[in-house]
Amino acid sequence: MSCAIAFEHVTHRYQHAVAVNDVSLRVEPGETVALIGPSGSGKSTLLKLAIGLVWPQQGRVFVTDRALAADNLLEIRHRIGYVIQSGGLFPHLSALDNVTLAARYLRRDRQWLDDRIAELAELVQLPRDALDRFPNDLSGGQRQRVSLMRALMLDPAVLLLDEPLGALDPMVRHGLQEDLRRLFQSLNKSVLLVTHDMAEAAFFSQNIVLMREGKIVQRGSYRDLIDAPAEQFVSDFVKAQRGLHAEALDA
Amino acid sequence: MPDLRSLCILLMLVAQSFSSVALAATTVIGSKAFTESVILGEIATQLTKEAGFDAEHRRQLGGTRVLWSALVRGDIQCYPEYTGTLRTEIFSNRNISSDAELRGVLARQSIWTSESLGFNNTYVLGMRRDRAAELGITRMSQLAEHPALRFGFSNEFMERADGWPGIRARYRLPQQDVRGLSHDLAYRGIESRSLDVTDLYSTDAEIVHYDLTTLIDDGRFFPVYDAIMLCRDDVPDAIRSSLNRLGGQIDETTMRKMNARAALDREPEAQIAASFLRDRLHVSAEAKVQSRIARIWQRTREHLAMVGISLGLAVLVAVPLGIVAFYRRGVGRVVFAIADTLQTLPALALLVFLIPWLGIGYAPAIVALFLYSVLPILRNTHTGLADIPRDLRESAEALGLPRIAMLRYIELPLAARSMLAGVRTAAVINVGTATLGALIGAGGYGQPILTGIRLDDTKLILEGAVPAALLALLVQWVFGWIERRWVTAK
Repeated sequence: MSCAIAFEHVTHRYQHAVAVNDVSLRVEPGETVALIGPSGSGKSTLLKLAIGLVWPQQGRVFVTDRALAADNLLEIRHRIGYVIQSGGLFPHLSALDNVTLAARYLRRDRQWLDDRIAELAELVQLPRDALDRFPNDLSGGQRQRVSLMRALMLDPAVLLLDEPLGALDPMVRHGLQEDLRRLFQSLNKSVLLVTHDMAEAAFFSQNIVLMREGKIVQRGSYRDLIDAPAEQFVSDFVKAQRGLHAEALDA
Repeated sequence: MPDLRSLCILLMLVAQSFSSVALAATTVIGSKAFTESVILGEIATQLTKEAGFDAEHRRQLGGTRVLWSALVRGDIQCYPEYTGTLRTEIFSNRNISSDAELRGVLARQSIWTSESLGFNNTYVLGMRRDRAAELGITRMSQLAEHPALRFGFSNEFMERADGWPGIRARYRLPQQDVRGLSHDLAYRGIESRSLDVTDLYSTDAEIVHYDLTTLIDDGRFFPVYDAIMLCRDDVPDAIRSSLNRLGGQIDETTMRKMNARAALDREPEAQIAASFLRDRLHVSAEAKVQSRIARIWQRTREHLAMVGISLGLAVLVAVPLGIVAFYRRGVGRVVFAIADTLQTLPALALLVFLIPWLGIGYAPAIVALFLYSVLPILRNTHTGLADIPRDLRESAEALGLPRIAMLRYIELPLAARSMLAGVRTAAVINVGTATLGALIGAGGYGQPILTGIRLDDTKLILEGAVPAALLALLVQWVFGWIERRWVTAK
């Protein structure tokens, strides 16, 4: 029973609120799971639990079959790529240095670095000269491509993407959506992706996990959510999203 | 991020240049921060050199307390003093009734006293002649009849047992408007009629110059202040017997004339001392008067040494402390409480406070400046780290770098701009505060400022103030350049 990510009865409370409440969830190797739900439903916290930015008060988190603990945290993080909405690029480092920072720290040799950079630039379709620029001189779309390169640099088994396209304008966003889906399929990575956009969730995955107030309400394909909603909230959420995207979906 | 290694090398160079200023087997003679003491200190220094010894004059070191503790500690070997001052100020609790008894007490403390130099420089109270005549005041006891008189006393006089507190008790004086100020500024206050009464030394040249009346001490309050030289017992006999040649050689008129040449004619004290030794003791002393450029260059080196070393030490201590304070909140609270408190200490008080431990000269000045530099650097290091956006911090953690690597490659570079601003603030404050170093023998730009105030010589004041201002601007510019060159977020 191998799995890429597993949450077992995980609960995390912030000071005044429960962000994740007794959640169990598995992501199989090579699978893409889209987490969706209203703001504050606990989806981002679930990602942070998976990479040890926050720790569960109850339950356990497994990544590539290993329980997350203080002594294996750094090692496990090297097996995970993490991309956030703002890109999270370090403004004092060039795009290239951002991408290679962890690998250089792990003393990967020059040749390895050069090959890997060339390969990844090709993969995320980033022009080579953009790598010499600093994050503030890149466009929003380029920044996310660089951030993705950084996440993929050490060839992780797992990708955690927290609204990676949320800050982009629609045109750029559309282009990147296509690229990302192609990339997920070709790399065969396990992906846990947070989005608040049902159309995007459906576009990326047959496995949509709908969350509400720290709990998983339903897991299934887009069709399942429409045809067999687990409760009224699911229908309401889908309907609200449909209203927003009705034209796009009907077209 | 600024390169720490080049900073260290720079610091070592500064430290080296200043250690060459430090002295080995030299007899150091001190003097207090008023003209007469400086002249006597200069005479003693030249006499010691003439006897074949290396001697250095640390001039205008501040007040009695500073000189006395420097002598006891051995930072200076000799300095001119007055018997009355010792009896009432240093040994006030011993009730010493005569100068002979005083010599005995000093000898038991391993302090040698020269023969009396020949004049009694007692305190007197003085008023403008026209103002005194208008009120009909000639004696100190009459002051009690005029409660509205405005008194301005030198700072030391305000506190001394043989100063204002004693006079007030003896003559039952009711005056409320009593201010402390520098002795030399008091004359100007009297002249401009913003003060009515001040304390004077009976040998002050200004008494004649400003046409002042000295009030008769009809309550016999002031003791005798015979001028003497004090030396530590370990000073060679040859130096002591050489200084004893001054015994009885300086009467009140001679001293007042020498004071007048310095204070009114702006003659350098070294030159006055040399001509006195030539005329009176037939000693061919050489008066070495530095050129202005050489003087400013020396002051610049001293000032840079103080500012550079204290700042360097502060960076080495405050940056790690700021990092710890950020990651350990409990430690942070304690550290900031201490640093905040230190910042509120008055600079002069801190300097004098440090003398019993560190003596006079560079050490207490550097320690005091260091303490003042810590807070801005500490505060800005902490702020710089705290201001790193949360998403950047989390992205950094997610890369799987260990704590130290994160600090080095991500957090410190991101905080560098704020940290540098802290160092810059500390540096500019230091350049200004270091002028106080002159009061405790560390030299620097404060030296000409102090002398200028003492001699009412604006040119001298500017000789210290202008380079200090320029240095502050230079510091601003250098840090601006460092920031543009290394720290600007691209």
